[in-house]
Amino acid sequence: MQGKTGYFVGKLIELVVTLFLVSLLVFIAFSIIPGDTARVMLGPDATEAQVELLRQQMGLDKPLIVRYFTWLFGIITFNPGTSYAYNMSVGTLIAQRLPVTLGMSVFAMLMVIAISYPLAVLSARKPGRLGDQICSVIGHVLFAIPPYVASLLLILIASSMFRLITVGTYVKPSDDFLAYVVCLLLPSFAVALPKIAMSFKFLRSSIIEQRSSDYVRTSKSHGLSDLRILIRHVLPNSNVSSITIISIILSDILGGSLIVEQVFNLPGLGRLLLAAISRRDFPLLSGIVFYLAFITVLLYFLSDIAAAVSDPRIRLK
Amino acid sequence: MLSTKTKYRSPEASAFYTAGLILLGIVVTAFLVSLFWTPYSPDATDAAAKLIAPCAEHPFGTDNFGRDVLSRVMSASKYTIYISAAGVAIALILGTFAGIPAGYFGGYIDKGIMLLGNSIMCFPGILLALVAVAVFGASVTNVIWALGLVFAPTFARVCRVGTMEIKELDYIAHARVMGVKPYRIMGFHIFPNLVPQLLPATVIGLANMTLFESGMSYLGLGVQPPDASFGKMLSDSQAYIRVAPWLVIFPALMLVFYILGLYFISEGLRVNLSKGGKR
Repeated sequence: MQGKTGYFVGKLIELVVTLFLVSLLVFIAFSIIPGDTARVMLGPDATEAQVELLRQQMGLDKPLIVRYFTWLFGIITFNPGTSYAYNMSVGTLIAQRLPVTLGMSVFAMLMVIAISYPLAVLSARKPGRLGDQICSVIGHVLFAIPPYVASLLLILIASSMFRLITVGTYVKPSDDFLAYVVCLLLPSFAVALPKIAMSFKFLRSSIIEQRSSDYVRTSKSHGLSDLRILIRHVLPNSNVSSITIISIILSDILGGSLIVEQVFNLPGLGRLLLAAISRRDFPLLSGIVFYLAFITVLLYFLSDIAAAVSDPRIRLK
Repeated sequence: MLSTKTKYRSPEASAFYTAGLILLGIVVTAFLVSLFWTPYSPDATDAAAKLIAPCAEHPFGTDNFGRDVLSRVMSASKYTIYISAAGVAIALILGTFAGIPAGYFGGYIDKGIMLLGNSIMCFPGILLALVAVAVFGASVTNVIWALGLVFAPTFARVCRVGTMEIKELDYIAHARVMGVKPYRIMGFHIFPNLVPQLLPATVIGLANMTLFESGMSYLGLGVQPPDASFGKMLSDSQAYIRVAPWLVIFPALMLVFYILGLYFISEGLRVNLSKGGKR
């Protein structure tokens, strides 16, 4: 198999194998937990018979390999068991919380693109000038601020200066979509800040590199305007590499929003994750962890495909 | 390659070094001084001196238990430096031992190691480290191991790519013909030449690990109370953000100084490497 389909099939196989390994990692992590899960759940007062009964109900008496495939089957069919702590289906719990985390990630990504692209283009027009240097220094500083620290600082600024943002209120998108957007605005911005800096830095150097290449000089000597060269030639060439960066940024944003939710008291996956950790609710925990990893793997896969579609040279490597 | 002959330093790199060393110096000095002396005991509570704004006696103010924030910030820098250094050391060792053979032997060894590394990298942000701590319990040792494991693939990648380039060079082929054993080639002929690439990766690893560690401490899954850490201090002070903003500002500032200082130094190293490499 060669060429386009060969490349895509290869990537697809890679995707499946990676997902399999990820599932194995998650399962192993939760199987080597020190202590007896059934005993931990029932507490020290339970009798041996009660523990044995629960162990049978949970399937803990079966061999490891059987338990793995039962778990894997549940995960694939989006029915990964019942949470101990909430006594609810793990799938329902995750589906309830997903709009918060996903919404934040999408808004943050939009902010990254909307802010870093224009700034990078402007900055790269005259590299080394004052404006460019100021942007670069600010970029470095923003890059070093952890998202949750940025959230705290944003809360501090917002509460002392404007007194308009109420922290800790979450509105469902089905109730009032506008209010939903407003309440996610500040947290999304906090998650986006360091990634804006990252995307800016990367895109800027990529544009500067492209501008010094031969084809730009040729287009210039043909009399094309700077704007046209930028839009038609420079940006598409910088885009190919920025697709890969965007997938990395998206995965970072997803990870960052898990913590930022905690700062803003938003009922997202991050809070669910922490609740699951503190209550040692392993079916819920393994479900969240696997699906988050699943989203990330899928993002990487899609970015590989997108990069290969927009630049045929990648397929030949 | 790191060569003494080409000591070229661009002014850009020097500016990064200076800025980085100053910022890092502030945190490291605070840490070193805290080993011998802090203005007050970091855990000593004082009911008469709750939430005092920065003043002559308490330059950074006091928290809701009357503890001196300057003393707590100083002693918190200890964990930040210790965890990032120990975690990076583990990641460096694991990454080198996985990455160099992967690049050197290629084939199935390479595929296997890289697949494992990639699947570790599939977990967004601190998720994997959180899970590890959730399973094995929150303690400084567990945080170090968890972060070391999460960061190992980054170092393995650097080693693998570098090894793949170096092993094509004539002197490696020569050594192979001479009958030098693979482990000797990897350890004595390839590894020293990877140091220039590993150095910026290590510095940036320290910074990223601090980002993760402080996040975990913020969530209460890192350094455990009563020990002070920047993340824990920030999460404790959140409730007083309106009445006592200094509780947020000073730990945040120290944390950002440490991370930013490391970023600047790694940027300086990178600039020097990219310009010095084209001899």
